Amino acid sequence: MNIRLFFRSALLSTILAYLLIFIGGLVRVSGAGMGCPNWPKCGDNWIPPTNVDLEQFNLTLAWIEFINRSFGAILGISIIVLCFLSVKYFYSDKRILSISFLSLFLVIANGVVGGALVWTNLNPFIKTFHMILALALVSSLSFLTVEAYKILSVNKFAHRPSSNINKKIIFIFAICIIIEILLGTGIRTNIEIIQIEFPLLDKSQQLDSIPFYKYFHTFMGFTLLFLSFYLYKIFSNHSLKIIKSLNIFILCMITVQILLGELLVFSELPQLARLFHTWGSSWLVGISVIYYNLVDYELV
Amino acid sequence: MNWFNKKIILSFFVIISLGFLAFFVIDKAVKSRLNNLPVISNIAKFELTNFDNQKFTNDQLIGKLSLVAFIFTSCEDACPIMSDHFSVLQKRFYDSDLIQFISITVDPSVDSENVLNDYSKNYSIKDNWFFLTGDLQEIVNLAEKGLFLSASLLPAGHSTRFVLVDQNGNVRRYYEGTDKTSIFEIQNDILTLLDD
Repeated sequence: MNIRLFFRSALLSTILAYLLIFIGGLVRVSGAGMGCPNWPKCGDNWIPPTNVDLEQFNLTLAWIEFINRSFGAILGISIIVLCFLSVKYFYSDKRILSISFLSLFLVIANGVVGGALVWTNLNPFIKTFHMILALALVSSLSFLTVEAYKILSVNKFAHRPSSNINKKIIFIFAICIIIEILLGTGIRTNIEIIQIEFPLLDKSQQLDSIPFYKYFHTFMGFTLLFLSFYLYKIFSNHSLKIIKSLNIFILCMITVQILLGELLVFSELPQLARLFHTWGSSWLVGISVIYYNLVDYELV
Repeated sequence: MNWFNKKIILSFFVIISLGFLAFFVIDKAVKSRLNNLPVISNIAKFELTNFDNQKFTNDQLIGKLSLVAFIFTSCEDACPIMSDHFSVLQKRFYDSDLIQFISITVDPSVDSENVLNDYSKNYSIKDNWFFLTGDLQEIVNLAEKGLFLSASLLPAGHSTRFVLVDQNGNVRRYYEGTDKTSIFEIQNDILTLLDD
C-alpha cells in the first residue's frame, strides 16, 4: 500500500481547494462573477475571446472568472486522482473511500452551482450556497489528509482518548465556527441584496440596514477568541507538536479575523480585507477538522 | 525550532504575495469597468417635445447621465418590458438628481403629448423621466445618425436597445433593453460613471 502517495494526493487537493476558495473570493470582491456571461463556455469558446465587441465583454473580468473555472477543473482532476488512489489502496476502508467520493461529488456539484450562479445573474443566496459547498469540500479533503497522516504515522502516534469534556469543547468550537460563518455569509448576502435594491446607499447606510443579528457576529467572534484561549490552555502540553502549532495558529487566526472584521466596517477600501476575512474563515473550518481528529493521539 | 520558523516565514511570504496579487487584480478589475465604457460618439443635436409640451434638446443631456430608449405606446411586445426596466432603475436611483431617463416615441402620429402623458403615469414616479415626441424624420435621424440604432419599418421595427449617455453627451454603452440582466449591468455602469 502506497499510503504516502495517497497522503500527498489528499494534501495537494486540500491546498488546491484552499487556493480555489481564495480565487473564488477574488472573483466575488472584484465583481467578476458575470465576467463570462454564460456557462460552462466563456462567450462562444471555452477560452475568453481576445478581441470582441465591448458591449458583451469586459475582458479583464472574463479572465478572472475564467481562471476561477480552470482552477476548479484542475481541482476536479486532482480529486479524481485521489478517488482512484482511494479505490486502489483503501478498498476495504469504507470511511476513506466514501469521503473521497463525497469530495468528488462536492467538487462537481459546486461546479454546477457555479453555473447556476451565472444563469441566475449572481443570485446572492446561490453565492452563499456556492461558498458553503466549498467549505464542505475543504472539510472532507482536510479529513482525508489527516486520516492518511495518521495511518502514515502509525508507529509514532498512539490513540489515547483525551477527556470527553475536552473533545466536546473542540466540537463546540467547530460548531461555533460554522454558526459564525453562517452569520457572516448572512450579513454579506444581506448587503448584496441591499446594494442591488438601493445602489445609491453608502457603506455605513448599508450596514445600518442590516438587522440586529450583525451584532451577534461580533459577539460570536469574541466567544471564539475565548474558546481558542481555553483550547490553548488545556492542550498547551500536548505531546504532538502539530497540536501545539495548531493551538497558536487558531488563536492568531481568530484574532486576525476579528481585526479584519473591524477593518471591513471602518476602512474605505474593504475588498482586500473582505477577501482575507472569507479566506481565513475557510482555514478555520479545515483546521477544526484536523484538530478534532488529531487531538486524541499521542507521541509514543 | 529552526525548521518551524522557516515554515512560518515561508507561509508569511506566500500570504503577502497573495495579498499583493489580489490587490493588483482588484485594482485592474476596477479600472477595467471604466475602460469598458469608452466614448463611442457624441450625440447629435436634436429638438423634441416632452409630454408636458416643454421642449427637450440635446443641451439637457449635459450634466446628467441619461438612459435613452425608443418605444411607442401601442407596442405590445418589447416596449412594456423596456419601460418596466426603466421603471425599476428609476426607483432604485430615485434619490439621485444626476440621472435621467428618456423614452422617445417612434410613432409620433399616434403618440401625441397627451397619449405620452397617460403612458408615463403607468411607469414613471418622478419628473426625471422624459417621454419625447416630435417630427418623425428628426426622430429617425436621431436614432440612425445620432445613436447608430436601426429605425426602419417604424414603428414596429424600432431598436430595443438602451443607450447610456454620459454627462458630456457622449454615448458610452448600449444594452439589450428587453433583457433583464441589462438592469444589473446598467446599475454597475451608472455607479462607475458617477464615481468617475
